[in-house]
Amino acid sequence: MTAATRSLRQVATVGRIVIPLLVIFLIVAPVATVLVAQAIGPWLISVLNSNIGILRFVVAITAILLFSIPAAFIIIYMELKVIAYMNLRVGPNRVLPAGAAHSVVAGLKVLTKEDFTPNSADRLVFTWAPVLVFLTAVMTFMVVPFGPGLVGAPLNIGLLYLFAVGGMTVVGLLLAGWSSFNKYSLLGGLRSAAQVVSYEIPLTLSVVGLILLAGSMSIDSIARQQSGWVWDWFVFRQPLGALIFFIAGVAEANRTPFDLTEADSEIVAGFATEYSGMRFGFLFFAEYVNVFIMSALIVTLFFGAWNAPVDVNWLLHLVGVGPLSIAFDPGQLGGNLVALAAVVPLVVTLVLAAPFYLLRPEKPVWQSLLIGFLLLNLLLVGVLGLSAYVDWDWVAGLIWFMVKAFAFVFVFVWMRGTFPRVRIDQLMGFAWKWLLPASLLNLFATALAIILLKSAGIN
Amino acid sequence: MTAPAQPQQHPSEDDPRIMLDGQVGQYEQVPPYPPRTEREAEFYTLGDGEMFLNMGPQHPSTHGVLRVVLKISGEKVVDLDPVLGYLHRGVEKLCENSDYHHIISQIDPLEYVSSLFMEWAPVMAFEKLLDVQVPRRAEYIRVLTGEMLRIASHALFQGWMALDLGGLTPILYSFIERDEIVEALAALTGQRMLFNYFRIGGVNGDLNHEFMSRVGDWMSRALVQHEANIGLLNENEIFVRRMRGIGKVDRDMALRMGVTGPNIRAAGVPFDVRRAHPYSVYPELEFNVPVRGTKDGGDSLDRYLLRLDEVRESIRIIDQCLHEMPDGPVMARMPRLMRPRPGRAWAAVESPRGLFGTYVISDGTDQPFRFRVHDPSFVHLQLVGMLMKDNLIADTMAVMASLDPVMGGIDK
Repeated sequence: MTAATRSLRQVATVGRIVIPLLVIFLIVAPVATVLVAQAIGPWLISVLNSNIGILRFVVAITAILLFSIPAAFIIIYMELKVIAYMNLRVGPNRVLPAGAAHSVVAGLKVLTKEDFTPNSADRLVFTWAPVLVFLTAVMTFMVVPFGPGLVGAPLNIGLLYLFAVGGMTVVGLLLAGWSSFNKYSLLGGLRSAAQVVSYEIPLTLSVVGLILLAGSMSIDSIARQQSGWVWDWFVFRQPLGALIFFIAGVAEANRTPFDLTEADSEIVAGFATEYSGMRFGFLFFAEYVNVFIMSALIVTLFFGAWNAPVDVNWLLHLVGVGPLSIAFDPGQLGGNLVALAAVVPLVVTLVLAAPFYLLRPEKPVWQSLLIGFLLLNLLLVGVLGLSAYVDWDWVAGLIWFMVKAFAFVFVFVWMRGTFPRVRIDQLMGFAWKWLLPASLLNLFATALAIILLKSAGIN
Repeated sequence: MTAPAQPQQHPSEDDPRIMLDGQVGQYEQVPPYPPRTEREAEFYTLGDGEMFLNMGPQHPSTHGVLRVVLKISGEKVVDLDPVLGYLHRGVEKLCENSDYHHIISQIDPLEYVSSLFMEWAPVMAFEKLLDVQVPRRAEYIRVLTGEMLRIASHALFQGWMALDLGGLTPILYSFIERDEIVEALAALTGQRMLFNYFRIGGVNGDLNHEFMSRVGDWMSRALVQHEANIGLLNENEIFVRRMRGIGKVDRDMALRMGVTGPNIRAAGVPFDVRRAHPYSVYPELEFNVPVRGTKDGGDSLDRYLLRLDEVRESIRIIDQCLHEMPDGPVMARMPRLMRPRPGRAWAAVESPRGLFGTYVISDGTDQPFRFRVHDPSFVHLQLVGMLMKDNLIADTMAVMASLDPVMGGIDK
């Protein structure tokens, strides 16, 4: 006891508080947790079971909120790096290798900045406008299916919800621009209102043809109808609709070449001019979340959603194999499992390290062992990932969805690096004179084709 | 019964309460003082649904520290008022108090993207005063370096143009093109931007090996690189549509306003100081004076494309200079202390922006009695007010960038 007290006396004041707390947390807390779980566990489970809908909603919205911020970080980093390489620059290269955490640090920086409100601003509106912008962006995630069954709320009117909630972004931008008491902000807000309202119409109309084809407004159902081969994707049945949807989507997300709302050479930063700190961060994140949502929607509606471009089962059937599944239960190994777990990693590490040691005997042994260990980990990740891909269709779906969505994010970034900005009259003229008639034409042609095919008895 | 007398105390400008207690209308009083001219009174009276929008001096796209007050009605620019003087250094007065050698370094930063031309004009004027015969090799070197810098300046113009229209990438390609030229000149002069290279009676130092190797390296692919750079913009439908038809300068307006350089050639007038009032060795060199624009005048796209034509002509001139460079000294024999005879001299050169001229009056001492600068950017900026009526805010940037003003020269 004396030794312990003496040691405790030697540590600093903070340590004297932290060490006992650590003891409590490490010993007392687990015991208490187990006891509490035993006491109220069954009751809690029954309550949650009876309220499974609410539970599902809460989990979904938490997952979406948690997902949206890293997604925005990744897109911001991607934009910095991709445009840098397009400009023949290096881009961010300080935080982590290749500046990978640059956008995270930038996000932290935004958090630490002064939260400034102009004197003459409408304080209430000024404060809540970024929240509205960000929340509407995140809320649209609720109906986007990331994989089979991986959807926040499987609404049967998902598309309607999507356009209704997505259209609310403009209210936030308009409020932000109006409440700042700044002429640049006002112009930016009004521009965004004019732009988003105008492009909302071709955006919605371009999808109506698809709804006629799919016979459903549920995004999940639309996604399921595109399974199979590449040519089952709706983009090949609605090419004009996909094109209009893409162009109008770029305008909806306020991206180059339609980024008039924040045209820095004209109106400084548009509606975000007076914002600083995390409020600006919300506006900033919302922009990138919108980019991801637009990419996700294009993928979901026209580019096969989570479906792989090849029909794997058909291919396997051709070869003569049934649907793949790895039915392996580790429990059946019994006591051998322990032995395997002890021996296999060691052996595999040594086997993987051996060629490196043999090729470079002059280097220290531990280097080869480290390489072997890292290779083992890579192998394990690969094997586990492959088995997950084969066994669980939602893993396969998620991977395909993310790959396709980020391909479209890349297109967005690519456009930013290439195009100049259009003028406001060209922007409006393009929406009303070209996109709107084209989308109506698309709708008419689709409807006519469906009627003709039905009367001909096909499908 | 009279109302109790209010204490008529004007709040201090620094008092933050002025922002809280004041009427909203108080912000609309721009400027706070009573108007000084009729034009000011007319401009600063707001019509129905109009408001002022201040662009600058700390605005991303006003090419330095120009301040433009726009009177807008929605997105439409009703009227506009450029406010100058944020970069005023009093260069002319500085030069009047420097001796003739020092003037070269004083006047260098006027147009900081093409500073050799700022040296060339006064040096030529002083040579006229002093009756100096500049060696032919020195003249060739002047033409060679000057035309290289013209290409650098036009490359930068192209990048700025794109940046003002919202394109991020072209300016970095332009900087690569410019950097090769500027690095070569740095090998020759020791500076990248303000060269301070021309001297009265010649140039400071002969061509050296590094300069020649860099120039040879660059010239071997100058045209190809230029064509590659402009492809991203010239074949872009958005860019062309935004530039076409805006900021039309017709022949009469150009002549009346004294426009020179690429801007007047884009309006269909083939005026080039190098051909109209030949100087240096330009009469011996073969090059065309590119002209664009219809009889209605030239728009922003014409002005943009004309500068690209000029780059090709400059490459031709550089090629000829390199092939026909004579041997000999690069500096005439000059006295250490210069006291030109009393008299006056005018010299003008074709800078990348137009006619850049200097007018010197000597009183026989070692400093000029009067020294005046004619800067093309100043003249071109006068056009902005005429061109911008009833255009959109976004066009203001496009037109202003296509006139290619540099604020250093305007504010002197």
